[in-house]
Amino acid sequence: MYGWIWRHLPGNAWLKALISLVLVLAVVYVLFQYIFPWAEPLLPFNDVTVDNQ
Amino acid sequence: MSVRALVRTVSELCITVGTLIVLFVGYILFWTGVKADGAMNDQIDRLQRQWSKGTVAPTAAPHGSASPAEPKPYVPGRAFAVMYIPRLGFTWNKPVLENTAVGTLKKGLGHYAGTARLGQRGNFAVAGHRRTYGDPFKDFPRLRPGDAVVLTDGSTWFTYRIDKGPYKTVPTDVEVIDPVPRKSGYARPGRYLTLTTCDPEWGHSHRLIVWAHLDSTQPVEAGEPRALRR
Repeated sequence: MYGWIWRHLPGNAWLKALISLVLVLAVVYVLFQYIFPWAEPLLPFNDVTVDNQ
Repeated sequence: MSVRALVRTVSELCITVGTLIVLFVGYILFWTGVKADGAMNDQIDRLQRQWSKGTVAPTAAPHGSASPAEPKPYVPGRAFAVMYIPRLGFTWNKPVLENTAVGTLKKGLGHYAGTARLGQRGNFAVAGHRRTYGDPFKDFPRLRPGDAVVLTDGSTWFTYRIDKGPYKTVPTDVEVIDPVPRKSGYARPGRYLTLTTCDPEWGHSHRLIVWAHLDSTQPVEAGEPRALRR
């Protein structure tokens, strides 16, 4: 999977490394900004009130 | 597909999932705290600005006399007070926002909509996170009868004293935030305060409760109440 991505990135090794880094950062950003905030309420840490659960 | 490719793909997937889990734990433990600290400071700053502009005074009745106007209802999701609990640390202070929606509790403590207003007759009930989002009530079990819970709405300091708790109950026990909570030992109507959070620390099977009564009030011009002085 990662080998396939690496082979399909353009440029020489340095450029590939740079693009990989940018891709990794983009994935982490999307995770922290969108995916994790969505997944987090599915865990029990939010239930602090007594009422209609 | 050769065995080699298969093994490689499975290994890569495992590593990816492992990385995801580590990132998520980092998000829960660390990043929600960073976000919440920022949001809580924002809320407190906004309150202080609002108070320093003097919007506490009602939009003057033309005759400017006697009857204090009906207080404005709290706006859902907006901060209206700051809470101090010396037992949780002398620097511990958190904004109190109206309602207990998930989004509200990310920015501070939440006042149960429909319970009494601050300092008024009835039960002023507040919920807060035990863990994640700044861990406001992490040390909740250390609260003891006699501890002070101090709140200010910009014009008055309210000092509550804890009478009972931490009391462990189940999430459906809505009686704990009644005007006169049955299990609290209070027998007649009064000015009470209830704090709730989750128990165990990372779970949601139970709730921890403390009850307090209004001990004293003083205008902000009189300075901080004794409970906040070292």
